[in-house]
Amino acid sequence: MTGGGEAPALQGAASGHNGGAGRRILLRPAAPLLVLLPSLVLLPLLAILPFLAHGGGLDLLGQFALAAFTPSLDPLVLRSALTGLATTVGMALLGWAASLVLGLLLGLASSRTLWRSCWGQLWPAGLIRRLLAIPRAIHELLWGLLLLQLVGLQPVVAVVAIAIPFGALVARVVADLLDGLDTGRLDALRLAGAPAPAALLTALGPPLLPGLLSYGGYRLECALRSATLLGVFGLGGLGTDLKLTLQSLEFHELWTGLWLLLAVMLALETGLGRLRRRWLMPRRLGLSRAGGGRAGVGVRAREMVLAMAALLPLSIGVAWALGVDPRALLAWQPLQGVGGSGWIDGGQLLALPWPALIGGTLALTLLAAVLAVGLPPLQLLVSAPWPPARLLVRLSWALARLWPPPLTALLLLLLLQPGVVTAALAMGLHNAGILGRLLAEALADGSPANEQALASGGVGPRLALLYGRYPAIARPYLAYGAYRADVLLRETVVVGMVGATGLGSQLLESLSSFAWDQLLALVAVYALLTLLGEELSDRVRRRLLQGA
Amino acid sequence: MAAAPLLELRRVSVAGRGGVPRLEGVNLVIEPGERVALLGPSGAGKSTLLTVANGLLAPSSGEVLWQGEPPARSRRARRRQQARIGTLWQDLRLIDELSVQQNLNAGRLAAWGWPRALLNLLLPLDTAANAAVLARVDLAAELLGQPVAALSGGQRQRVAIARLLRQDPTLLLADEPLASLDPRLAASLLALLLAEATPPRALLLSLHRPDLLAGFDRVIGLRAGRVVVDAAAASLQGAAGGLLQELYRGEDREMERETDGESNGQSDGQSNGAGDGLRDGAPDDPSPTAGAGSLWAAPDQ
Repeated sequence: MTGGGEAPALQGAASGHNGGAGRRILLRPAAPLLVLLPSLVLLPLLAILPFLAHGGGLDLLGQFALAAFTPSLDPLVLRSALTGLATTVGMALLGWAASLVLGLLLGLASSRTLWRSCWGQLWPAGLIRRLLAIPRAIHELLWGLLLLQLVGLQPVVAVVAIAIPFGALVARVVADLLDGLDTGRLDALRLAGAPAPAALLTALGPPLLPGLLSYGGYRLECALRSATLLGVFGLGGLGTDLKLTLQSLEFHELWTGLWLLLAVMLALETGLGRLRRRWLMPRRLGLSRAGGGRAGVGVRAREMVLAMAALLPLSIGVAWALGVDPRALLAWQPLQGVGGSGWIDGGQLLALPWPALIGGTLALTLLAAVLAVGLPPLQLLVSAPWPPARLLVRLSWALARLWPPPLTALLLLLLLQPGVVTAALAMGLHNAGILGRLLAEALADGSPANEQALASGGVGPRLALLYGRYPAIARPYLAYGAYRADVLLRETVVVGMVGATGLGSQLLESLSSFAWDQLLALVAVYALLTLLGEELSDRVRRRLLQGA
Repeated sequence: MAAAPLLELRRVSVAGRGGVPRLEGVNLVIEPGERVALLGPSGAGKSTLLTVANGLLAPSSGEVLWQGEPPARSRRARRRQQARIGTLWQDLRLIDELSVQQNLNAGRLAAWGWPRALLNLLLPLDTAANAAVLARVDLAAELLGQPVAALSGGQRQRVAIARLLRQDPTLLLADEPLASLDPRLAASLLALLLAEATPPRALLLSLHRPDLLAGFDRVIGLRAGRVVVDAAAASLQGAAGGLLQELYRGEDREMERETDGESNGQSDGQSNGAGDGLRDGAPDDPSPTAGAGSLWAAPDQ
């Protein structure tokens, strides 16, 4: 219902723009209103929450919240949390570095520009692109759980689980960047007789680097979140500690780890933000032109190359310290029952409630996406008059985005019954933290002129924000929201344990009962769904950005 | 008893970067019905003065009085005060993503509550009132449904003025609205603004060009953050070819003095004294040049 309410609204605005003055369209929400529409989902949500609540865990939740102010400072707890944190950060770093290398190579391999100029053929690029959609469509958690079954609990599992889908994502971005560049210079160099690799490096390297590094930096933040998440599912690091302390209700110890994680996360985000500004790299939402015409690429390029070069020895050191050994990947354990006669039971496969599973997954995705997109603008608006409240909102976003969704789900289970709504809340809150930060960044980059003009004429801070700031960011923000919905579809597996419906929960169940045939079928359906979702979200995004 | 002045600045100073104040000891009174031109080279502090006047910027020291009252403590009361002040910005600050109608209604936001503010983003509201203000700025009502982004430069200027009329403030502030306009457009826009500034309204308009002073009652000259001229416009024009000409003629001479002054501290006392002389308004003052000239001599920053 909520998603359906949003789509016609978008169309209404688009046709309103093109329709001219003469036509009267009854409802045509303008840009700033579009940003607020998704938050309407809160109304039905708040209406049904009382029916989902079971009251039991209210005081536990209170204890959890209060414990935030009194984290355990026991040296033993601290040491364990720090060790866990180091492991998580190390896994994130390695997975990220591997994904960059993988992504760069695969991105080159799937670039049309490259195939055209080196071999005069286009089809291999298209083929590799399609193939890469498969590793991308499967969430890192699934990769992690599958690899866990194959090679056992090894430190390398988490690294590879991150590297595979991230590498495929980076590859797509690299290929898109490459194919989006002006190939005139490349052709000129080729015509002048330069060998293909040299010509590529010269013509496409410099313009490619800023976009790539900006995106790469963002992936590092994602990798840290993913590494924490993998830990929650038993792949080691701080995530494991967080889950264990939560399950044993040791809230003070839990917060020790959480605050440490928050500190690392914020340090990483600010550090990357600084680098991004220093190296004049574009922001993700693409609202502002970074740099503003300052020329500094020559000097910065040396720093960038040095930083990249420093990454290799750092990665090797971290790999050695964590005991990550790629050879472990080769030692496969036999999977129970696989390969024997009749390990695929067709009848049982068809007996799975597919429509309900797929429907549940889609409902979960939509609800979570609308929640994630709708909450941040509303929170900013409500807190606009009070700077301390605004700070609190931003802190809550920071906590939400580093706090893995399955743990939020566990917390919510203290209060709510398991189901789609609970799972969607967990995912929606997490992603609201991510979108909120993007929104805040976009607002910080935008011009305050209109907002100030309104305020100087006696307009209150909330309306000044709505009319002065939201119009400019509305479409890029919603476009990013569409992209996020696509990510959310992939992520639904993560909260499978509390979603009573959906592919994710069935998948975790099949995994724990070693029903490999079911698992295979579920992964395939999941991947297919994700690919369709990706296509759809791309279309919505293009449309939103065109309308601007 | 006469109505309180719409705006009064008392010894207003605004600190700037590197110890150079953006405004220093500015005294200013604007009465209902007055049409005041604010002259000065760029960097003189005209925009700063206007943002202090509309409450966007709090002065580092000194007092701002709106209709005889200081800015209210309570937010609500203060917003009511500010709603009576309308600013025409140099960059217009129209909301490009919205229609002309929605932009005009944005002028009413201070008076409206949330329901109407949200409805305005959904439905055409107050069409009759908007058409009326468009007519006052010589625009056709057909433009109401157009996105502002589709308008020409001249139309945008007029829509911004129409939005100001929708706000219906008593004090109109305008920050160089005529800069970067061709002469004909500048003259017609100025005529529009002057025509709207009838009692109980008043207009304070900053500009760069002394040739457009015809319709004003008073001229205030600003240099390096200080008021150096405050005189009736008639007195400036009366000495035909006199005072204003002198303002220009003094330029070169003052340039030299200015650089001297910089090398050994400040030469403000001198120019200030001359400004006071001008304020006394002696049209036949034989040498009103020093302060007035320095107005034009201050280096553009």
